[in-house]
Order: sequence, then structure tokens, then C-alpha cells
Amino acid sequence: MEGRPADDAELFLRAQRGSVDAYEEIVQRYQQLAFRTAYVITRSAAEAEESTQEAFVKAYRALGRFRAGAEPRPWILRIVANEARNRVRSAGRRQQLELRLAEGFRPGDAAPSPEAAAIASEERQRLLLLINQLDEDDRLVISSRYFLELSSEETAAALGIPEGTVKSRLSRALARLRARVEEAATSA
Amino acid sequence: MPELSELEQQLRALAAEIEWPATPALGGAVRRRITSTTPRSYARPWYERRWAMAAAAALLIAALLVAYTPTRNAIADFLNLHTSINRTNVLPTPSPLPPGPLGQRLGLGNRVTLATARAGVKWAIVLPSGLGQPDEVYLQNPQSGPPQGEVTLVYGSRPGIPVSGETGVSLLITEVRGNVSETFFGKIIGPGTTIEEVIVGGHRGWWISGHPHAFFFTGTDGEIRDETLRLATNTLIVDDGGTIVRIEGDLTKQHALDLATSLS
Repeated sequence: MEGRPADDAELFLRAQRGSVDAYEEIVQRYQQLAFRTAYVITRSAAEAEESTQEAFVKAYRALGRFRAGAEPRPWILRIVANEARNRVRSAGRRQQLELRLAEGFRPGDAAPSPEAAAIASEERQRLLLLINQLDEDDRLVISSRYFLELSSEETAAALGIPEGTVKSRLSRALARLRARVEEAATSA
Repeated sequence: MPELSELEQQLRALAAEIEWPATPALGGAVRRRITSTTPRSYARPWYERRWAMAAAAALLIAALLVAYTPTRNAIADFLNLHTSINRTNVLPTPSPLPPGPLGQRLGLGNRVTLATARAGVKWAIVLPSGLGQPDEVYLQNPQSGPPQGEVTLVYGSRPGIPVSGETGVSLLITEVRGNVSETFFGKIIGPGTTIEEVIVGGHRGWWISGHPHAFFFTGTDGEIRDETLRLATNTLIVDDGGTIVRIEGDLTKQHALDLATSLS
């Protein structure tokens, strides 16, 4: 078995049997997804870090309730998102930090002309600005599905809503975003 | 919808460009926390804890004092335990509702007339049909409540609607400008409380059955607010195009939906 990375089921089983090493590996495996999910909710790197750490501690204490063979991502996301929402609520007001584009990013393999790259970059900046300006529910569902690339089940867990609601909410959020994109295009 | 597909493609492309803050390495910190807290409760036997030792000493001294007869009598005299008191059993009587307006004790704001409430807010206050005028109307000012105020209609006893608990109130209808925050529905759901999405007159709504105690919404200023559900009973919430209408009462789902449909 040495040299082969343990799969999730094996790690969870070991952690449930008391292996702290196994749990630390689970944390390392899921910390990026958990942290980014918390960041989308709290809009603060510091709050996201604290809530993610707290969530992993709570998840450890709740390991006994994790069903063997279940998908760990929705389980972890639910705990992380709950913790992040609690922090937003106790903070009393929402953070104003927004998602940004990485500087100097050049999508695609082909090197575009400087003019084309500048236009494309402006368009992406504008789209992200419009997403940041959406109301909380719309912003969260779009960020979860497209930026965090969560499945429907995972999005439902992260947003604390039934899975059946995710599709309709996403559809409405996209429609509202599209309207804003069109509005921005006509007023430009 | 080709536009949506195009938009979705743009969003997917955008995902690779998001500038995320660096993910902190949490493994070590989490490990330290779980290993420092878990064994602590098992680490020391109870008799090594200071508070346990102090409590045991105090108990021992008290037991010795009580065991010694002259001391016991002195303590009994001091506490007046040698006096016999004849007590008449008094059955508790249900406490009547204190006099005054029904909604005053519920912290709903200032009591006003319906006309004053209508003049005090920028949206059209809606009332259900078939219940007559509300018995009391309360207005929460922006200074103490949501940015555009909040109106609560209080209905006392009404046929077919039980009075809720000891409030003397059958029905509360609260109206406020904002959007429902489904994000926080997870905090409403608890043992015996469920949330079901419904449609009322083309508007989205949620039937919360059980004993919800809190409700969350986003005010017109973008701030998330939480409010106490005063009756902690079945509640129907309708997002009526920017106005959130909340109907609290010991109602069946169908009765609540009928009332919500009749709002005008």
C-alpha cells in the first residue's frame, strides 16, 4: 500500500477510527476548496481562513456522523459554508472585497494582439464587476457553479438550500446577469 | 437561449482568471487544535483538578459540622429551622394577559393607525380579505428597523385561527422592503421545522412549518438583517416583487396560501 495515495473513503475510515494523520491529510486535500468557498461567502480572506479552520475542527468532532461511502465534498462544504455564514452574520455587515481577475492572465494558447487582449481583458473585468454587483443570492450561486465549479449537490450544500432549488435559482441569476450585461452594452 | 449559453461559456472562461487569495496551510493548525482539545478532558483525573479538590474539602467541612450535634442545633437556630410553618397549598392560576395593546409586548415598533402607516412608508401596504381590519398596526421606523421601515398588522381573535400561545394574537402580517435571503434558511431549519418553496400569485414564497424563531432578509441597503418570528409558529413568506410579506399564525398551509393570495 505504501506509495499509493489513500482514497477519500479510506482516509475518512481511518480518521473515524482516530487517526489524526488521516484527518490532517483530509484537511490538506480539501482546504483550497473550503477556503475559497468561505471566501466567496465572507468576502474576506481573514474571515475565510478563520471560518475554514473552525469548520475543519467542527468537522473532526462530527466525523462520527459522516456516513461511510458518502461523498465528502458536500459534507465538508456544508460545514464550512455554515461557519462562514455565521461569521458574516455575527460581523453585522458584509465585507466589501470583491472577486478580481489575476493580473497578466492571458487565456488560450494563441497570443492575441495587444489591442485584442486589452479589449478581452476589459470585457472580462466588466463581467466580473457586474457579478460583484449582483445581489447576494445571485452572486453566490453563480460563483459557486462557475468559479468554484461546484456540482448541483455541492452548491446546494454550500448555499444551504435544497438541490432542486439550485437550478431555478441559477437560471434566474443568469437571466438577471444577462440583463445587466445587455444594459451595460447599450449604455456604453 | 443562445445568449445564456454564451454567457455561461464566458463565466467558465472567467473561472480560470479569478485572483483567489493564497490558500492558507491549515493542516498543522487544525491538527494542533484537535490534539490539544481532545485529550485534555481525559488527561487529568478528576481528583487532580483544583476546583474538584476545593469542592471536596468544602463538603467534608460541612459534613463534619452537621455531624456534631451542638453545631447542628446552632446552625438550625440560625436558619430558623426550628420554627414550624403551616403552609397552605396555593394552586397556580393562569396569568391573564396584561391589559393594553396586543402587540405592545412583541416589540413591533410604534402603534399607529393604518392611515399613518400608509403615509409613513413608500410601498403599498396590503391586507388579506375576509379578516376585517387589523386590530392594531405597528410601524418600525428606519432609525430602529429596516431602511424603509417595517409595518406589522396584528389580528387578535379571528374565527378559524387559534390564538398563538399566550400572546392573544392569532395572526401577524409583517411587510418590509427587501429580498429574502435563502442563504440563511439553514439557520431556520431545526428539529420539527421544515421549509417548502411555494408560488403565491406568481411570486416566490416559502412555507415554514413548525417552530421557526428567526428570519433573514437583505434590506434595501444590502445589509443582511435577522428578525425574530414573534409567534414562533407556522409562517408563510412571500417575496412580492421587492416587498417581503410574512404571515405568522397557527394556520394550515392552505389557509396561509389563501390569505396570501387574497392580499391586496
